[in-house]
Amino acid sequence: MGTRIEAAVTAHRRGHVFGRGALHLTDSAARACLRRAHHQPSELDLLIHAGLYKDRNTAEPALAAIIQEDIGANPGSPPQIGHHGTFSFDVQNGGCGVLTAAQLVDAFVGRGHAHLGMVVAGDADPSPRTSVGFPFAPAAGALLLGRAGNGVGFQAFSTRTFPEHAALFEATLTWHPDAGLAHLGRNVVEVREAPELAGACIEHAVEVAGELLVSCGLHASDVDLVIGSQYPHGFADHVARRLAIPDGRVPVVRSELERAHTAGPIAALEAAIDARQFARATHTLFVTAGAGITIAAALYAQRARA
Amino acid sequence: MPPWMLAESRRDAAPYVARFESVGVQLPEHRVTSRDLMASTRHHTRIDLERLTGIREHRVCGPNESSLSLAVGAARDCLARSHCRGADLEMVISASITRYVDGTTHRFEPPLSLSIKEAIGASSALSFDVSNACAGMLTGVFLLNDFIRRGEIQRGMVVSGERITGLGENAARDIRSIFSLQLASLTLGDGGAAVIVERAPEGHPGIVLSGFTTLAEHSRLCLGMPAWHQPGARMFTRARKIHKVSMDEGPALIEDILALGGTSLGEVDWMIPHQTSVRAIKAGERVLAEKLGAAPKHMVITVDEYGNTASTTLFLALHRYLTEGRFHAGDKVLLLSVASGLEVGVVLFVMDELEHTHGHAH
Repeated sequence: MGTRIEAAVTAHRRGHVFGRGALHLTDSAARACLRRAHHQPSELDLLIHAGLYKDRNTAEPALAAIIQEDIGANPGSPPQIGHHGTFSFDVQNGGCGVLTAAQLVDAFVGRGHAHLGMVVAGDADPSPRTSVGFPFAPAAGALLLGRAGNGVGFQAFSTRTFPEHAALFEATLTWHPDAGLAHLGRNVVEVREAPELAGACIEHAVEVAGELLVSCGLHASDVDLVIGSQYPHGFADHVARRLAIPDGRVPVVRSELERAHTAGPIAALEAAIDARQFARATHTLFVTAGAGITIAAALYAQRARA
Repeated sequence: MPPWMLAESRRDAAPYVARFESVGVQLPEHRVTSRDLMASTRHHTRIDLERLTGIREHRVCGPNESSLSLAVGAARDCLARSHCRGADLEMVISASITRYVDGTTHRFEPPLSLSIKEAIGASSALSFDVSNACAGMLTGVFLLNDFIRRGEIQRGMVVSGERITGLGENAARDIRSIFSLQLASLTLGDGGAAVIVERAPEGHPGIVLSGFTTLAEHSRLCLGMPAWHQPGARMFTRARKIHKVSMDEGPALIEDILALGGTSLGEVDWMIPHQTSVRAIKAGERVLAEKLGAAPKHMVITVDEYGNTASTTLFLALHRYLTEGRFHAGDKVLLLSVASGLEVGVVLFVMDELEHTHGHAH
């Protein structure tokens, strides 16, 4: 048994400072994703949130639990014997979080322990007035994963880290005693990125994705679609080119989502679904990059391989 | 399986069984008594914290300690008690709520798991962070158990370091009465814990069942976030409501999940619940006895000496009782998480070599 993609939906914010926060966007994406796949929230067995930059930087509880309540996925207590329940938690793995979470959902759905799982991810600058260097677009996405048979679904995952590049990207929340309007001090979100980040991510993504294709017995020309991170900008295009994957196999993401962070791969997938690229693709290569540097890749088969 | 809980038990067809192989901890040296903490409050509160919670003292990080350093220290301690090396780990999951890499810097990215695995030589392990409030480490064990049972990996580590007493220091500035929503922040303690889960040799009982569910209509009963005009964070907890939900719903959930593992509460030798306060644990024990007509043979309590160390409480307690030689081979041990969310998680395992390698004799 495998795990197939049932729907991928994003939500983004119009306006900047006074717009809606990450939670609102993620709730919206989650609801729309379930609607698009004609599922009820109560059918969800597993809900994993992979976003990093939350409203008010909430650290507890897992944001997934709040989203579960907001979308009405079996929030009631107690879960009566014979009724359905949902397990929610957060995964944090930078720009690779969605693929890591998909791997976890695949583990439970693929073995039949769960029927339906959803990965959600959303980021928005928690404090636009004081944050320093925050580069990401306010955006969220939801990816619905269900059971599949006949070899359809995720075939393999591969994740590697390259800690020699750990200093190329770091995001922190640090106390600044003089920050804020009245200089009373603030906890400030700071994002520091070295110019070499994009090049290093592409270099290692080519390595990891190339090895994954070889391990699956595929050539670059067998890849019909490349779904990648939207950050660093142009990442998926560069990786596809370096792997010699034929042109036109990277979906064009709308401009509002070009700098989406954790939801980036979902934005690319949504674009591919809307353009019917995904439905036509036999082999889809997922490749994502995150701080660390972490590279996560996966191969997805749309139809049974002969 | 009960459809309300995502669960795995020995009754499910799976090629392998997982077991706990090693447990390690890192506790800061510095101790603060509840009396000392209450003497530091800005307002005169008349709260006898020790009497109210049963917590005598807790540990507090020094200036050079952080969530990351506690996690790395616990991971090294865990490896020192293990038969394997860092390089043998195929998965490293960091599960802390706090993510301090120094006294006041919380890190979003890169994930803490990346720094931890590099520090212990587990470079090739798949690594990621899990955030699930005080149920974080048990969530990590739940995930590792699944990967090991499927045969995807042979061995992994769940690790957490909590530098969390800053919440208590911030609360001490604000609290005026026992009804303060920050009261629970005064019960917190710092600490790190790590556990290795591995494929059990054939015939070993290992982890009998594991399961989780989220009672999300209570998701906003406890919220923790960075403070506005102060370093560190603050936490607002409707502790009475959480306690009531736990007491009302907990017994039936526990009875149901234990039945999945083919056992009952009366057959459990040791129950290790999330350590919030001595009073809450004893109340829980009473309610279980009243509602289920049975009780575990022993209830593990370490909160009196460590405070509530968030995601690490279960494994600090397990480690403490292991090193004191309290367990015996064959004992059934139930780990129970009830955490913000509201997360309810259980892992039931049968004690084996862990008792020899970590106990008295060792």
